[in-house]
Amino acid sequence: MVTRKEYRIKLVSNELLNNDTCYLGFYCPEIASSAIPGQFVNISAGTMFLKRPFGIASVDREKGTFNIGVKVVGKGTEQIKEFEVGTEVDCLGPLGNGFDFEDYDNFILTGGGTGVFPINFAYETLTAAGKKVTVVEGFRNKNQVILNKEGYVITTDAGDAGIKGTVIAGLDTLNIEDSSKTLICCVGPIPMMKAISSWAESKGMKCLVSMEQRMACGAGICLCCIVKVKDDGPDGYKNVRCCKEGPVFNSQEVIF
Amino acid sequence: MNPLSVNVGKTELKSPIILASGTCNFGRELSEYYDLSILGGMSSKGLTIKPRAGNPGVRVAECASGMLNSVGLQNPGVHYFIENDLDFMKESGAAVIVNVAGHSYEDYVDMATTLAPHKDKIDALEINLSCPNVKAGCMTIGSDPEAIKAITSKLRSLTDLPLWIKLTPNVTDIKATALAAQEGGADAVVLINTLMGMRIDIRTRRPILTNNTGGYSGPAVKPVAIRMIAEASQVLSIPIVGCGGIEDYKDVIEFMIAGASAVEIGTACLVHPSLPVKITEDLNKYCEENSLELKSLTGTLQRW
Repeated sequence: MVTRKEYRIKLVSNELLNNDTCYLGFYCPEIASSAIPGQFVNISAGTMFLKRPFGIASVDREKGTFNIGVKVVGKGTEQIKEFEVGTEVDCLGPLGNGFDFEDYDNFILTGGGTGVFPINFAYETLTAAGKKVTVVEGFRNKNQVILNKEGYVITTDAGDAGIKGTVIAGLDTLNIEDSSKTLICCVGPIPMMKAISSWAESKGMKCLVSMEQRMACGAGICLCCIVKVKDDGPDGYKNVRCCKEGPVFNSQEVIF
Repeated sequence: MNPLSVNVGKTELKSPIILASGTCNFGRELSEYYDLSILGGMSSKGLTIKPRAGNPGVRVAECASGMLNSVGLQNPGVHYFIENDLDFMKESGAAVIVNVAGHSYEDYVDMATTLAPHKDKIDALEINLSCPNVKAGCMTIGSDPEAIKAITSKLRSLTDLPLWIKLTPNVTDIKATALAAQEGGADAVVLINTLMGMRIDIRTRRPILTNNTGGYSGPAVKPVAIRMIAEASQVLSIPIVGCGGIEDYKDVIEFMIAGASAVEIGTACLVHPSLPVKITEDLNKYCEENSLELKSLTGTLQRW
């Protein structure tokens, strides 16, 4: 059944968060009204052939807009950073499976890098629903700290902002009352998610991770963006699509 | 009268547009974007006897006007396909092309034998002798005219389903491999699969693809495909299904003039999943404006 369409959408805002990261807003009521935290969009990147995937950072359902954060890592993101308001892009979305918040009362949202963008969407959604949310984010140094809100626990490798150390040092400061009722949602670089996943396991907490992989279609048809997960079959693992079966997985399923 | 209807040998298609293997999975995901019954056909993800996990790590690297992939024939295995996907493809309304891959002569024989009882649901077998991303079989077989002829004639003796042999462009003489398929009893050849390539991360000095090499596809390879179709059509009496870099209706027409009876669209659909809808509309308009049937274009190249 036809339930999806390709969008041509307009950029409505583009602000720099630091020297290589920007925050873009697009007008697309269909995406703004249906997206949930952890989902992503695939958007065209100027002259590049393939679209680029970005986790949704925020939605404004009344205005019909959504935001993404883009860190410059190559030729595609270089062009996106320079997009002027009014620029039109091709867009697929919302894509993938977001976070399943059901059955939990308390939430720890944690991660770093461009993971702070989906974490922001999760924070806004959960706090609006009156849930208890703790955010712990790790960065390399003070200049990398973006989208910080009051009450967030921040760690930096350099120690020039927040707690010195990795995000685990921040998680260790938390006083967790009932680990069985607390869900950890984690978005960040793979080594960080691996460490957080082990930390969660040691505390007996369920942890959801949002994986990333080089992606082509975002629509589940090319099988390029694989994540290795545990399987009962003879190999003990299988490759599943980050864009379709993910990007959010139970951390216990992922083979990092 | 449908101006888009074409024939690939004895296979009638309502449109020349076929989704290329490996760029549509088995159609389910794309059916969320448009009604697949507009298509001439759909070529399944490359199938093997046993399930394959495919290659590990990074499988895609962007290149100028295209991409490298090294998926490595990840697929659920032909038995799972028959139980779970074949009926969906059949009911989509597009002709069902089953893409058959293997690592050895015996694998292809096994595949044909396994699929034979389901021939009522299958319109053609596309024999993949050209995947560059697995260590044995496929492209190794597909580079050797004698091996192509041997495997095609063996399959010919096992099935009366139309046999389309998908060939690799990574050869010096496409006429020789295409002729070998014809001599083996193929009903058509599919030209071309991907071109082998590599990209390197200059910081780590490692290939971007974990498989080191991959297959180059997309608009960049279009002139290579057209040249090979034009060359092969000079020597073949069986039809050609063209494939490689098609992005719009003009590309379809160009491929048909070069000698293709139908075309496969792949990489462009990874960027625009509903592209076949636009191409189909444009082809209908073109036929109407020029008062012609699309199939009349095949092989009308006027060489200098």
